[in-house]
Amino acid sequence: MARTITTAILPSVLLLCVGGAAHALDLGQELKKAFEQSTQTTPEPGRPPSSAGGGIDLGGMRGLFGFSAEEEVAIGRQAAGNLLGAAPLVKDAKLQKYVNNVGRWIASQSERPDLDWHFGVIDTNDINAFAAPGGYVFVTKGLYRVLQNESELAGVLAHEVGHVIERHHLKILQQSQLVDMGTKVLATTAGENQAIKNLIGNGAEIFARSLDKNAEYEADRIAVILAARGGYDPFGLPTVLQDIGHAAKDDSSVRLLFKTHPHPDDRLTHLGDAVGDRLDQLKGQTLEKRFYRIKP
Amino acid sequence: MNRARSIPVLLGALLLAIGTALAGEGGSALKADDLKAEPFRDAKTVGSLAAGDHIEILDRQGGWFRVKSAAGSGWVRMLSIRRGEARKGGSDAAELAGLASGRAGTGRVVATTGIRGLSEEELTAARYNEAELKKAQSYATTRAQAQQFAASGKLAARKVEYLPTPGSAK
Repeated sequence: MARTITTAILPSVLLLCVGGAAHALDLGQELKKAFEQSTQTTPEPGRPPSSAGGGIDLGGMRGLFGFSAEEEVAIGRQAAGNLLGAAPLVKDAKLQKYVNNVGRWIASQSERPDLDWHFGVIDTNDINAFAAPGGYVFVTKGLYRVLQNESELAGVLAHEVGHVIERHHLKILQQSQLVDMGTKVLATTAGENQAIKNLIGNGAEIFARSLDKNAEYEADRIAVILAARGGYDPFGLPTVLQDIGHAAKDDSSVRLLFKTHPHPDDRLTHLGDAVGDRLDQLKGQTLEKRFYRIKP
Repeated sequence: MNRARSIPVLLGALLLAIGTALAGEGGSALKADDLKAEPFRDAKTVGSLAAGDHIEILDRQGGWFRVKSAAGSGWVRMLSIRRGEARKGGSDAAELAGLASGRAGTGRVVATTGIRGLSEEELTAARYNEAELKKAQSYATTRAQAQQFAASGKLAARKVEYLPTPGSAK
């Protein structure tokens, strides 16, 4: 309940900021035009494009500071393609299929079950996980190796699903768009890639940026609930946080994760404050036997 | 021959035991919390932990750890506990030793210094890879397939309310 209220407030706050600067409106429309010219996607029949405001229909206003569902997917596709340029998928079709099954089941417990969800394990020893707008979620091989059962994988994927359903990255992009509006000019003739490139920056650097700390805590709170809704032991993610919590900060495999996220100790503490005794009655499956173990 | 075969088996069993059993693993309290006689809220309080208190984890049940501490033994919420050595500002001798042996804490996190990682620089320099993206898309599962997958693992969907934001009115 509280979440619906905050997401309703956020767009109006943004609107207030935008309202003060007339040229911000122009930029939004330029961006919108650039997208419309370059993407030939037709909206799904019978389904209005969703807004970036947490599912609240903003009607004609959404193009000014939000992103349509098509724009969100286009941004996510580009960001995901760039990330895969840095680290390709682990060459193990069974693993990739397994992760998609677990991820899609978790996403099905969210408010956006019908997004085109994609999950994958990327080939790097770094310990991290990434979400891009539109439903792209990647876990590194390094993190996958830390996992001991399916509920832990579900918890990790659910944290990333939380970022996607709350559109945390899009909110950051909107903010940077407002900050950069004086210098960044989008030509109406710009192609899809150029428009998105201007928005998300070089390569996959969007994944090296931190989200707001509170966005991370929120994704943790969402994660334990989505895992529980899916029938899993809700404590999969906390177990993983405890596992990586005592890795040394200067261990290169967790350097980026620790730089872009609050320390696992702080995440556990915040989560503990929110959970209290609410999950006491919830048991769930860990599915240790079914867990797909990666080849060494 | 027999002996050669039994060594890997034994080693495997040993690794399994390490992976599943928490028995004896050290840790500390992230915040002050009660020690309970049983793993639920209404159980009798048998002691209390202060932030930073060292504990030994003996068992886990749901969201609870059974721990041994100077304040006695009992059950404490797992979210109030950090596993492994207490958090340090920098790297101390123990952490360095852990890294040198390729292990940190429980040994579940393996140091990978020198092996290809995914740094900020590498991310920024990344070039769009269409072929890999197509491959990633080819592994997608439909909602119905995921439902089947869940059923085969005896996972049943259930209604659970989202958690409130701590510090908010609710």
